[in-house]
Amino acid sequence: MKFRVVPAEPDTPMPEEYYEVLERTMGEEAAAWSRLPREEREKELRWYHENFFTSDDLAVWPPELGDPSKVPEE
Amino acid sequence: MRAVSAPLDFLKIFAAQLRGAGIEFAITSGMACVHYGLQQTTKDSDWIIPHEDLDKLRAMFVRLEGELPPWRVSYRQICGAPLDAEWMQHGWTSHLSIWDTAGSVEHKVDIFSKPPRVKPEEMSVDPDGWVSRHVVAQMKKTDRDKDWPIVDGLGRWLWGKRIETGLLHITDLAELRAAWNQAAPPARERMAVRRPLLRLLAQEPPVSDAELRLMVALERMVWERVNEKRHSRFTRSWRHFYRAWRREENWRWPTEEPFERQHQRLAQAAHRHALPANPLAEISREELVGAAVQELRSGDRFSEKDIAAVLPPVAELLP
Repeated sequence: MKFRVVPAEPDTPMPEEYYEVLERTMGEEAAAWSRLPREEREKELRWYHENFFTSDDLAVWPPELGDPSKVPEE
Repeated sequence: MRAVSAPLDFLKIFAAQLRGAGIEFAITSGMACVHYGLQQTTKDSDWIIPHEDLDKLRAMFVRLEGELPPWRVSYRQICGAPLDAEWMQHGWTSHLSIWDTAGSVEHKVDIFSKPPRVKPEEMSVDPDGWVSRHVVAQMKKTDRDKDWPIVDGLGRWLWGKRIETGLLHITDLAELRAAWNQAAPPARERMAVRRPLLRLLAQEPPVSDAELRLMVALERMVWERVNEKRHSRFTRSWRHFYRAWRREENWRWPTEEPFERQHQRLAQAAHRHALPANPLAEISREELVGAAVQELRSGDRFSEKDIAAVLPPVAELLP
């Protein structure tokens, strides 16, 4: 597999409707974070990592393999 | 507190190492969603590395384990294949823990060589190694509820930039209708071939919101069922292998050995206990999709006509 290298997509703000739908589908906090410029988003994320134990992936099953509860037993 | 702020730094460190070793890579899934402003919570990283480069990747780990300060690289005790082209080229993932300094936190690193639902010809990355939003959206069409708003968000961003693949991912009804109305006829046609549901938007009289909502939900169920059918073959194969392997005398996993020794152990065990290189080899892609559709017909009682109206081509579901 050979990857095609393309220019980076600029992190420009989206129209307000974009964030309104995010607010509906992902929640107010996620939408507010998404509204920030990338540098600010990363700064906030670093603050969370530094001040809270935010280990998010305690599951032993990788998410890309789907929901383990749906794996039929042999 | 440097150690706990490391997840974002580690991405850059690991990317620089890969680049230095001449290994092609793309950062995908959760961290890509963080980069694109759609997910706040992940610390793990997912990397697409072509199977042709996996020998170089293992050699890089050996080198880094021998440097001062040394890295530590280990397999994790979860479903995953040896980091070897024999398995990885067929869709397995490999799951590692990496400590890049003695005081480092554990970095969970997942490697894909054949990411699910992604067409090889569509693999594009930016100069920093971030995979495109379209590829992330394809990978996020999983069984997890929390992934689907991300798929929609990625799709809406793409369409906001008038990138036509956005039409493949939008699920918000109003946004989908608006995007369809704005799209030029050739783009509509190209995308409707890949996403038949779009053709409902061209109907006269217009399809109602209630009907469209149902069809969008049905389309998602198709993706979910096909994914279940696909990945359950991997997980069943791995469970079978793992049960046989752990019955060996003095078995323990992962060991504390250097990575290459761990790798030899895992690869030898995979051969000894017949972990299939390609768990999908015994079923055609058409049969696999057919089995998923059959469940929707019988279990969920969707009509043949409705399923046909939203069923993406096999090459989209299982490229």
